Amino acid sequence: MIGFGSSLAVFVDAPLLVDAFGRFFQPDTLARLLVEGLGKAAIYFIIAVGLTLVFGLMGVLNFAHGAFAMLGAYIGGVLLVVGISSTTGSGVRILLFIAVAAVIFALLTAFGSALEVGLVRPIYDRTPMYQILLTFGVGLILEETARILTSARGIQPEPTWTAAASTIPAVLDARYSILGANIRGFYLFAIAAGALVAVAVWAFLTRTLYGLYIRAGSEDAEMVEALGIDVRKAFTIVFGLGTGLAAVGGVFLIWDPTYGPSVLLNIDVLLYAFVVVVIGGLGSFKGTLAAAVIVGVTDSLTTWLFNTGIVPFPGLSEVTIFLLLVITLVIRPQGLYGIEEVGGH
Amino acid sequence: MDTVTDTTAAHARDDEHWLREYAREHVPHLLVIALFAVYPPIYGLLLRTPLSAEANAFLPGTTFLIAMLFLGLFAMSFDFISGYTGYLSFGHAAFYGVGAYFIVLVANGDVPGIPAGTPFVITMIVGGLLAFGLALAIGAVSFRLSGVYFAMITLGFAQVAYELVRNWNYVAVNPQDGPTLSGPTPEIGIPYVDSVSIALGRLAGDSFENVLGLGIDISATLTSYYAIGAVVLLSYFAMQRLIHSPFGRVMIAIRENEERAAAIGYNVFWYKMVAFGFSAFFAAIAGALFAAFSRGASPDETFYFLVTADALIVTIVGGIGTLAGPFFGTAFYEWLEDILSSEQGGLAPYLRGILPDGVLTADIAGITIADLINTVVDGRAPLFLGIVFVLFVLFVPNGLLGSVRDRLGNTVGKYVGGRLERYRR
Repeated sequence: MIGFGSSLAVFVDAPLLVDAFGRFFQPDTLARLLVEGLGKAAIYFIIAVGLTLVFGLMGVLNFAHGAFAMLGAYIGGVLLVVGISSTTGSGVRILLFIAVAAVIFALLTAFGSALEVGLVRPIYDRTPMYQILLTFGVGLILEETARILTSARGIQPEPTWTAAASTIPAVLDARYSILGANIRGFYLFAIAAGALVAVAVWAFLTRTLYGLYIRAGSEDAEMVEALGIDVRKAFTIVFGLGTGLAAVGGVFLIWDPTYGPSVLLNIDVLLYAFVVVVIGGLGSFKGTLAAAVIVGVTDSLTTWLFNTGIVPFPGLSEVTIFLLLVITLVIRPQGLYGIEEVGGH
Repeated sequence: MDTVTDTTAAHARDDEHWLREYAREHVPHLLVIALFAVYPPIYGLLLRTPLSAEANAFLPGTTFLIAMLFLGLFAMSFDFISGYTGYLSFGHAAFYGVGAYFIVLVANGDVPGIPAGTPFVITMIVGGLLAFGLALAIGAVSFRLSGVYFAMITLGFAQVAYELVRNWNYVAVNPQDGPTLSGPTPEIGIPYVDSVSIALGRLAGDSFENVLGLGIDISATLTSYYAIGAVVLLSYFAMQRLIHSPFGRVMIAIRENEERAAAIGYNVFWYKMVAFGFSAFFAAIAGALFAAFSRGASPDETFYFLVTADALIVTIVGGIGTLAGPFFGTAFYEWLEDILSSEQGGLAPYLRGILPDGVLTADIAGITIADLINTVVDGRAPLFLGIVFVLFVLFVPNGLLGSVRDRLGNTVGKYVGGRLERYRR
C-alpha cells in the first residue's frame, strides 16, 4: 500500500502543470470553455427555472423535478427515434426536435397540473417536509416506472440510451471554428434555446396578467387571495409550467454529449438544479439565470481543469459545484437575489 | 407530537419499586427482541414443512434480516436528529459512509497510526467518534440555517464527500466500486479476548454446531445476525436513554418551538450540535456493521444521497419522531424487498413455480405472463415502496408507530406497562 505522501505526488505533476496552465490561458481554450459553459448554463436554466418558480410561489421544494426532466428525455427520445431515420437530413431533425419539445412541453404541463391538483394540493397546510417527501416519492415512482418500461422494451435504463442520443444531426455534432475557438454546434443551439426560454419566461412573468398574479403571490399569497384572485389556479399553472420546462430541459439533454436519456437523470439533474436555485436564491428568476451561468461555466472550466492534466481527479468538478452550494449557504444563505429573511433565523 | 405524559396507571401505586414499573414499560421491547431472536429458527423449521415454498416466498430470509438490523440502526440515527429536533439531515449518508470506510481502511492497514490488527469493536467506536467530530464540524456552519436550507447544506456536504471518496484512488484500487476488506474477519465482542468474540460474515464468520447439545446449528450468517443484533440493540437503548433524558426533552423542545426553548435559557445551538454528533455516531456504527458484514463498502451504498433518502422513506413509513418506528419501517422495506427480489426466495420464483405452464406462456397483447412477472415483480421493490410511501405521506403522516401511539394516547411501552399494572391487581 502506498502512503499519503506518495499518493498525493501522483496528483500533481509539475511539468504537466505548467504545460496545462499554458494551454488553459490560450484564448481559444478559454473561449471554447466559456461558450460550452454557457451552453450547459442554458440547459441548467431551462430545468431550474421551474423549480425556483414553484418554490417562490408555493414554498414547495419539488423533489420530483429531476424525474420530470427524465420523463422529457425518455418520451422525447422515443419520439425522435421513431421520427428520425438514418437518412433524415439535419434541418428536418432540428425541426422535428423543436416539434417534439413543444409536444412534450404541452404533455408534461398537463401532467404537472394534474399532479398538483391531485397530490400536492391536499398537503399545502402541512410542514414543508411533507411536500419534500411527497414529491420525492413521486420522483421515485416515475424513475422506477421508467426502469420497468425501458427494460421491458429491451433498452438499458442506465447509463444512457444511445439510440436516442445518436439522433443528433451532423450539423450540431460537428465543431465550428469561431474566433479561433473550436465549439460543438450543440452548445450554440442550446444557448439560443436557453435565451429564448429566458425571454419567454421573463415576458410571461412581467407582461401577462397571470405573471402578475404569480409575482404577487410569491410576495404574499394571502394578500393576493384577499384581493379576490384564485391563487390556487396560479399554483396549478406554475407547477404545470415548471414541470413542462423541466421536461423541455430533459429533451435537450438527449443530444447533450455529457448526458443522454437515462434513469440516472432523475437524481443527477435534481441535484444540479438544487445547486442552481439555491445559489441564485430560491424563488428568484434573475438569480436562477445568474446562478445557471455561474454553475455552467464553473462546470465547464473545472471539468477541463481536472480531466486534462493539472489535477487528474475527475470528481473535483462535481466537488467544486457542491462546494459552491455549501459556500453560498454559509456566506449568503438567501442566495444571490433571494429574499433576506428566508433561510437563517 | 408525542409529548409523553406520566399520568398512566403505572404511577397509581407510589409505594411500588421503580424497577418493577421500569420493567413493565419494557415489556413491548422484550416482545420485539424475543420475536427477532426466535424468528430465524422458526423460519428454518418452516422451510422443512410442506409450507416451505410459501415461507420462502413471503417471509424475509436471513440476509435481509441482517440488512434490516444495520439499515434499521441507520434509520433510527437519522430519526434521532431529524425526527426529534426537526432538522432534516439530508447528508446523513456521509456519517454512515465514514463508519463503513473507516473500518475497511483500518482493516486494510490504510489508516496511518492505526495498525491493521486493531479489533473491530475499537475501530467501530473510533469511527463513530470520527463521525461525531465530522458532525460537529458540519453542524458548526449548518446550524446557522434552518428548514429547507439546512437540508440543502447538509446534502451539499455529503455530496462533496461522496464525489471525493468516489474518485480518490487512495481508498481503493477502483474507487468507484469502493474498497474490499482484505484484513482479518471483523469480530464483535470484547477486544483482545478471543473466547468472547464472534467473527462476522457470510463465509468467514463463526458458526456453531449443536448448540448446548440441543441439536440446533447456528450458521455463520445467523451468528452474524445475533452479534449485529446485539450491537444494534445496545445502540437503540443508548439512543432511547438519550431521548428520555433531560437532554432529549430539550431536543423535542427545539422541534416544537425553538425560539421558546432559547428564551427559557437553553443554549439551543449546542444542544443541536451534540444531538447531531450523537446521531452521526450511531450512523457510523451502522455503517461499520454494514461494511463488516458485507466485507467492503462502495460509495453508492454508503455516501450517496439515495442512502439518506432510503432512511427518510423508512422513517416516514415507520413514524418520524418515534425512535423504534424507523426500525419497523426498515423491517417493512426489507421484507418487501425480499418478497419482490429473487435473491432469497421471493414472489417471482414462487409464481413461476406455482402457475401452470399454460398460464405463464399465455399471450396478452404480445406480452406473456412470465415476462410480466419478470419485469413488474422481480426486483421492483422501489416502485411499490414508492407507492406505499406516497400513500403514507398523504394518509398516514405519522407513520406506523406514530399512528399506534396516537391511538393509544401514549408510547407503547407506557401503555402496555399501564395495562399490565391494571391486570396485576
